[in-house]
Amino acid sequence: MSAYSDLTLLQQQFTAALLAPSTQIPAAIAPTDEAKRQKRFNVYRNNMHAGLVAALGARYPVILRLVGDEFFQAMALAFIRQEPPTSPILAEYGAHFARFLETFEPTADLPYLPDMARLEWLRHLAYHAPDSPIAAIAELASLAPEKLGEIRLHLHPAASHLASDYPVLTIWQTNTHDATVQPISADRPGETTLITRPKLDVLLCPLPIGAGIFITALAEGETMSQAAASALADAASFDLAKTLAALFDAGAISHIQPD
Amino acid sequence: MSYRSQNLALAALATAVGAAIAISSPASAQQSADKERCYGISMAGKNDCASTGNNSCAGTAKMDFDKGAWKYVAKGTCTSMQVKLKDGSSRMGALMPIKG
Repeated sequence: MSAYSDLTLLQQQFTAALLAPSTQIPAAIAPTDEAKRQKRFNVYRNNMHAGLVAALGARYPVILRLVGDEFFQAMALAFIRQEPPTSPILAEYGAHFARFLETFEPTADLPYLPDMARLEWLRHLAYHAPDSPIAAIAELASLAPEKLGEIRLHLHPAASHLASDYPVLTIWQTNTHDATVQPISADRPGETTLITRPKLDVLLCPLPIGAGIFITALAEGETMSQAAASALADAASFDLAKTLAALFDAGAISHIQPD
Repeated sequence: MSYRSQNLALAALATAVGAAIAISSPASAQQSADKERCYGISMAGKNDCASTGNNSCAGTAKMDFDKGAWKYVAKGTCTSMQVKLKDGSSRMGALMPIKG
């Protein structure tokens, strides 16, 4: 057996023992007496779990508040067992939390949790996205009117949106800013949220109806005119003026390409 | 006016752009204008070793996360949320303890 396959086997055993405490600790680890071996390995295992739970809590603060500390910790541990890290970069950990929550039985009563996880993950991505200049809406006024049909609006690298059947932005806002959470009625419609980071702070803003389609079309390279037509085809009440104002005000447009 | 074409009429675009500029009020201009990027500071939980106020890492030998199980009931704020489910019914948030 080569040294390489020995190491691979040891790493596999080590990982298995980290994730499942019932698994045997690899024989090559700390060959002192058995009680010390167990105790020391537990320190390592618990450090790993504590670090990942803390990272998830920092990444998903509203979900943490919604379900409470103890519940979140247990839920995070179930997630870690199911989706252990695949990258050494902690900032990349937790991308699949929304998907995990979709099938996580104990939170089936909270159907908005997966979308809340998506919103919080998009905030996280926006925070780490590259910097970019921001285009001002006044630049549109300086264009010749006959050019408006040709222009393309380039999205800022930190800009994204989330269309949800639930009022996730309202839920996020009250759980982020209010000491006492405001009750949210069942009649509240779903919300589309714009996530941006024009300078150093991540901003969340509500978007008007159809704006999500508009943004997706812009991201796919359609002209402003084509994107507006796509949005109108999907929602007759799409308001281009309000959508443009919302996008430029939040710093979601980095560049106006004349043609 | 018909929007069945792939493009909007120029007049409609010009009107929308004019209205957009009129209602625009950039929020980002005053946001974080006087802040600067500060290197060397990790956000909580984003460093590899979560600090607990001393220089050691967060986990301690006595912590046993595996006692967790599902005896926990959420103590958060979800019970103040009433939302409409996909099937059209509405329900208050609730988290039941799960046995086993």
